[in-house]
Amino acid sequence: MSQPLRLRRLAPNVARHAILLVAVAIFFGPFVWMLLTSFKSSSEALSFPPTFLPHEWRFDSYLRIFTVAPFGLYYLNSTIVTVLATFGQIVTSLAAGYAFARMRFRGRTVIFVVLLAALMVPFEVVFTPLVTLLSQLGWLNSYQGLIIPNVPSILGAFLFRQFFLSFPTEIEDASRIDGAGIWRRLWSVMAPMARPMIGSFAILSFVYNWNNFFFQFLVTTRSRYYTVQVGLAQLQGENNTTDFGLLMAGSTLAIIPVMIVFLIFQRQLVSAMSGGLR
Amino acid sequence: MSEEAVLPAARRVRRRAAATMTASQRREGGAGYLLIAPTTVLLVLFYLYPLAQTVFYSFTNWNPATGRSDALVGLSNYTHLVRDPQFLRATANTAIYVAVVVPCTLAIGLFFAAMLATPFRGRGVYRALIFVPHIAPTVGTALVFSYLLSPLGGVVNYALSAFGVAPIGFLTTEPWALVSVIVFSIWQGVGYSMIIYSAALANIPPSYHEAARLDGAGPVRRFFSISFPLVAPTTGFLAITGIISSLQVFTQVYVLTGGGPLQSTQTLLFYVYEQGFVYFHGGSASAAAVLLLLCGILVSVLQLRVLARRNTAELG
Repeated sequence: MSQPLRLRRLAPNVARHAILLVAVAIFFGPFVWMLLTSFKSSSEALSFPPTFLPHEWRFDSYLRIFTVAPFGLYYLNSTIVTVLATFGQIVTSLAAGYAFARMRFRGRTVIFVVLLAALMVPFEVVFTPLVTLLSQLGWLNSYQGLIIPNVPSILGAFLFRQFFLSFPTEIEDASRIDGAGIWRRLWSVMAPMARPMIGSFAILSFVYNWNNFFFQFLVTTRSRYYTVQVGLAQLQGENNTTDFGLLMAGSTLAIIPVMIVFLIFQRQLVSAMSGGLR
Repeated sequence: MSEEAVLPAARRVRRRAAATMTASQRREGGAGYLLIAPTTVLLVLFYLYPLAQTVFYSFTNWNPATGRSDALVGLSNYTHLVRDPQFLRATANTAIYVAVVVPCTLAIGLFFAAMLATPFRGRGVYRALIFVPHIAPTVGTALVFSYLLSPLGGVVNYALSAFGVAPIGFLTTEPWALVSVIVFSIWQGVGYSMIIYSAALANIPPSYHEAARLDGAGPVRRFFSISFPLVAPTTGFLAITGIISSLQVFTQVYVLTGGGPLQSTQTLLFYVYEQGFVYFHGGSASAAAVLLLLCGILVSVLQLRVLARRNTAELG
């Protein structure tokens, strides 16, 4: 290959990588900066000019955050709320999706269309009376208040319905002939078959529930029930606005679970988001 | 959805099948209700019922603190809104926010999707790193931005100081506060529109590009003549979902600016929240929520109509 030709092939490649590296600096750089800052002392975090690597790697921001706020408790609360809400979303969506796809009952189409229409109404629009309702039930500052209103998932029911519709009916028919009742068929035949769908939906739902600040913020007023997101937002408000070492340690702790899930399940998450939502 | 819309013949077959339901299948009908019950009942209780209440309360003098609504006040909540400068400010802020965030997020997302459309080494890593801001919790990433943009130790101000610019309080001065919230939201949203566009671009048959290349069309020409028109439905989808979710922006505003300075970053949802839970004007809060909802529905309907017209035009 002659020299100019090779150059002509190489040049666009170099340009592409240059643009993409700038993009990575913009989109991923802030996370690197957050992590590095969390290991700096509070005064170093405010130094001008800023340092890139910490002068001295210190872990005291991480130690401090558990003493200035009950961050361990927040973590526990977030874990309980996320795991149970995710589990609830999977079970109810699987059941509803299966019924909408496979079972015949009066009003099936009407109910399904009403649910789809409700998908257009964001939760944010109805929160004022919802919070009042939860308060009348005595559910503010409680796990059931944080979890149960989040359990029904229209998107989930819709995704599972699509999944079961695309699924051949033969296996079900066979198990029906074998005398398996509807419950047996659903939980021992269909649910295991739906495992890939359950997996993608579980990841989607985990990320959603872990990040769900606005709802958790409305339902909790006492730190006993704060989740990581709410606790972190409150931490910033409590005279720590410029204690960036501490705040970046908190952000790191809030982001890490989602990052780990993303690292492991990247492909499923992306395909669930890009394929599933349409 | 598509299954429902299939030919009448298929529906006829299904109806015939329904007519010959066996006793055991009919018994399963009851199980069908049981299976949809958790989702449906919880949705009615925690979603549709509060929705109905929102609409009803928007015509009353409801007080969320006492739970009392003892008078129907007609449209006065709505007329009050139109005369409330704070509401008008929140509406204007939200409008600016939507008008900038949605097109920028779509355009930048499509740009990266197109750049990453053909396989090359490192493609997956680039895509993943651009996507990460979308799934990271907003409170955490907004705090990182509040550090980056800080006049104290923030890298953005440090970089600007190299050009002799004095430190700017990005989150505490107008108009920078709104600009910062907008930039943050674009940063957060690009990854999502990128992966949705990537899926759409992957569906374009490679032969289209091949043919155009043989005709001498360069990459830019091919993008605007082939890729861009063919992903139009995706653009429509992203525009609707983007507008609807941008209308509900709250978390980043709460963390970055708290609605300030002087309400210059207050958005509609922020207004609803304050009216409802700070001032306990449940009527105004509900009326604003209803308007927000109507905006969302209007956008969806308009967009669907435009898309439908375009499809019929292309077919005809």
